[in-house]
Amino acid sequence: MKKVLKCTLFVLGLVLILGLIVPSGALAERVIKIGVIYPLTGGAAAAGRELRAGAELAAEIANTAMTTIDMSMARNAGIKSLGGAKIKLIFKDHEGNPTLGADLAKKLILDDKVDGILGCYFSSVTKTVSAVAEQHGIPMINGTSTSPPLTQRGFKWFWRTTPHDKWFTKDLFELLKGLTEGKVKGVKAVAKKDLINIASACEKTEWGSNVSLMIQSWAKEYGYNVRKSMLYAKESPDLSSEVRSLKAARPGVMLFASYTSDAILMVKTLKAQKVKTNVIWGQDAGFEKPEFRNTLRDSIVGILTRTVFLPKVAELKKVAGQVNALYKLKTGNDLGGASARAFTGLQTWVHVLEKAASTKPTDIQRAANAIYIPGDELVVPWAGIKFSTSGDEIGQNVLGGGLIGQYQKGPDGKIGLEIVYPFDVASANMIYPFQQF
Amino acid sequence: MEALKNALDFSDFPRIDLTVAGLVLIFLLAFPVLGFSSFAMATMIQFLMFSLYGMGWNTIGGYGGQVDLGKAQYVGIGAYTTAVMLIRWDIPFWVSMPVGVCLAVGWSFIIGYPLFRLKGHYFAIATIATSLVLKDLFEVWNFVGAARGLEISPIKFHPPDFLHLIFKEDVYYFYILLGFFLLGIFYINWFRKSRLGFQLRCIKDNEDVARSLGINVHWAKIKTYAIATSFVSVVGSFHACYIKNIEPEDTMSLTISILIALMAMLGGAGSLWGPIIGAGILIPLKSYLKEWLGATVGLVGIDIIIYALIIMLVSAFEPRGVWGIIEKLRRRKRN
Amino acid sequence: MEILLSTIVAGLLFGMVLAMVALGLTIIFGVMDIVNFAHGEFLMIGMYTGLLTAKATGLDPLFMMPVAAGVGFLLGVLCYVGFIKFLLRGPMIAQLLGTFGLMLLLRNLALLIFGSEDRALHHGILVGQSFDIGMGVIIPATKLAAAALSVVSFLGVWLLMNRTKLGKALTATALNAQGARYMGIPTERMNALAWGIGVGTVTVAGALIVNFWSVNPFIGLLFTMIAFAIVALGGFGSVPGAFFAALVVGMITEIPGFWDFMTYTFELDWMANVPMTSLKYMWVYLAYFVIMVVRPRGLFGWKH
Repeated sequence: MKKVLKCTLFVLGLVLILGLIVPSGALAERVIKIGVIYPLTGGAAAAGRELRAGAELAAEIANTAMTTIDMSMARNAGIKSLGGAKIKLIFKDHEGNPTLGADLAKKLILDDKVDGILGCYFSSVTKTVSAVAEQHGIPMINGTSTSPPLTQRGFKWFWRTTPHDKWFTKDLFELLKGLTEGKVKGVKAVAKKDLINIASACEKTEWGSNVSLMIQSWAKEYGYNVRKSMLYAKESPDLSSEVRSLKAARPGVMLFASYTSDAILMVKTLKAQKVKTNVIWGQDAGFEKPEFRNTLRDSIVGILTRTVFLPKVAELKKVAGQVNALYKLKTGNDLGGASARAFTGLQTWVHVLEKAASTKPTDIQRAANAIYIPGDELVVPWAGIKFSTSGDEIGQNVLGGGLIGQYQKGPDGKIGLEIVYPFDVASANMIYPFQQF
Repeated sequence: MEALKNALDFSDFPRIDLTVAGLVLIFLLAFPVLGFSSFAMATMIQFLMFSLYGMGWNTIGGYGGQVDLGKAQYVGIGAYTTAVMLIRWDIPFWVSMPVGVCLAVGWSFIIGYPLFRLKGHYFAIATIATSLVLKDLFEVWNFVGAARGLEISPIKFHPPDFLHLIFKEDVYYFYILLGFFLLGIFYINWFRKSRLGFQLRCIKDNEDVARSLGINVHWAKIKTYAIATSFVSVVGSFHACYIKNIEPEDTMSLTISILIALMAMLGGAGSLWGPIIGAGILIPLKSYLKEWLGATVGLVGIDIIIYALIIMLVSAFEPRGVWGIIEKLRRRKRN
Repeated sequence: MEILLSTIVAGLLFGMVLAMVALGLTIIFGVMDIVNFAHGEFLMIGMYTGLLTAKATGLDPLFMMPVAAGVGFLLGVLCYVGFIKFLLRGPMIAQLLGTFGLMLLLRNLALLIFGSEDRALHHGILVGQSFDIGMGVIIPATKLAAAALSVVSFLGVWLLMNRTKLGKALTATALNAQGARYMGIPTERMNALAWGIGVGTVTVAGALIVNFWSVNPFIGLLFTMIAFAIVALGGFGSVPGAFFAALVVGMITEIPGFWDFMTYTFELDWMANVPMTSLKYMWVYLAYFVIMVVRPRGLFGWKH
């Protein structure tokens, strides 16, 4: 008995001494911890699942050498400049609650000691989380929040890869301008008077009201007349009064910023009230979801939606197709706007870390400010990633771009999105005017 | 002077209560140096905030027996006053907080006067309605940022900034809030022995009797409602500086109103320690259930299911809350 | 003139849909003093029942309404026997918060089982149909059916409460439970029955409106709030009061559309600047508050 005890003590002592002499990092493989905050439960849990899968796939590709993918981060296992250190993602769930998001950010930074943060999809949560990251001097990259003010705050530790609603809305007005000038594929020049009156209905949230403001300011610049710009209560049980308002404005163009349930109800109500208009455009979100398409079917043919990723892109871009195949293998679905951008967000992290060759926040900051990722590395159809470091927008990717898709009926009778903007990558003739209900 | 003496006089509590309270106080004072994680710290701040909300609610809801489910509107008034004054005119917290209290109390008088003509369920639903009306108004009011909300930018201040209450470390917030917490306890201790406190308990037991005793029932309720309001508004102001971002949807939501009442009820409405016990149980329970179970893939929402079951069990089997259980045990021991 | 007519029709139709939703709440309240926060969640369950059974069987969702009624009745009785019975002993605050807990439970169970995605029906004779009856009045088929069902169920419940022995027993339980017990009325069973009928009507409403609306686990709360306002406005426990109040609320929600119509007809700039749509539900709550202050027992209240 005594002998056993002695032996154990000896072994324990040895382990202790070894542990003291050999620095813990040298034995274990080096790990870089990235905290990822997404809405994994609550109303946006479905989007959260996509985001999580996108980020996880990117981490997988970065951590293993995959020759089948033409991306520089797939070439070696881990971060090469950091001795092959692996990326480890720590997921947290913010439920769409900004206060909870801030608490989680503190937890990640102070308790889990993460090297950086990725997130958070909801603009309102990104706002509080980035404020915490800024205070603690921890870098944060945001891939999916599109509220314009996020990068207008002068933060030094916050970078955003996705283009934001200001530019997405500008794309729309470019499309309208193109319509009047006859630049759109398959459509003859349209008289401006058919399009000049605009009515917009956005949900009454941080995101929706910013979109509404953007529409107003760009309309002024492009010489359009916003006849009605309303904010409606989201998850509304009835939209007949709202649609009556829109109808009364007799608009040529109708713009929406809505999540799924409202988008479906809105189109149903438009249809029920036989609203006449020439263009219907949705600001991503609900207008891009599969449920929107499956529920409304034929009645959405001709509706436009802004987006950042369509299955069409996977056909046009080789690397997108390769990643899409992997993603489909993993989840059974095609990449979507949310997952593609989450993927790109983490990919940017990998490139930044590779360039920084260190996990010291200041090195990462310097690397992020100087990073340039060419467009052919990315799954999304952007010119690349490069952050602005001066002016009113600090940390915004200046090379991003949006797409505008239109729901069209394919030869097989299935309804899918075709690209109509930018004009040079248009994949089909645009349907104009909108088929009346 | 008399009032101060009353506030500091806890001698009518049994010794065991005071011992426990003293131990908890020592624990709270020493909490930051005990080496807990920052998550525990954030949870602790939430606990203190909701204890204060609950103490405020307890005056009108517990001692007065008026079921008020509209406290979120005063959280909003306090938070918005502080944020607007700080962002637009750079006015320190210590000035904007009392202004917020004044505005909140003013508003509480305006709606309290008609509100207290209602009774029972009509009253409870009317408080919800007023809170939602105010939330909707804030959502279209451009001066306060409408639905976009307001953000106090952390980079415009140099923490620690004691004047504007902008800190980097939570420990400063913790001690300031702890100060408010102790003041709150002293105030409620005075309140429960004050004239108004006795009048309220009489109203709760039987309004007609109270009226026949010459108590101005309507006025007593409005006054107490204002007291509850000022508690909530102070914490609302604090919330603005702590979270640094306010949106009507987040700060003035119905859920906040209900949670406030829930904490106080679950702990034991109408007793000094009730709201503190309630917040002390529910807040860590919610945080840690979420931490342990929340991110589990495949079981989305399981943490809230457990949380909901606990709420249901307590409200069904011990409607007087945890404090009710303690009192029952004591009575059994005495007999 | 046309627009006025179509606004009124739309308001009345939506009002009747709301009445259908609020009916269950008013029955439950009429029999026992309890305000149920989980009401909207029962609606949500009704919607899921209609949706899933219709999808599974491939039949028209209209045929699923009896199924939803059955599910609702059982659920209601189960809730009463397993939970509400105990709540009734406590003070009002415990009842409110207990049903709030029930709401959280049902909502998150739905989240756990069905996921958070919005789901909608893709087939059925009512889906996406609407009638143009001239004069610019367009009526969606779902709403028309819901309105008709609403009128029928209100009549049915009113007859049940006033013309049958069972209704008399229920009313007696409502007025004085102890007295009713002395008269040999099984009040416990009456309460359970009230819960069964109350929840049953709201799940039927859910199965019907799922023809038009999409459903997710979070849909309940706004309906609960509006139903609260309706039931309180009509006077707690008054069946005709609830119907009338629901029509009033339906009309109020149509105000913004009418306002904008006036704006563009007369091109009045100041009218265009009022954010009426954003304040749509505020008018409902405000109307509730103002009417309550003037008449603290609600429009048709007989009980306080």
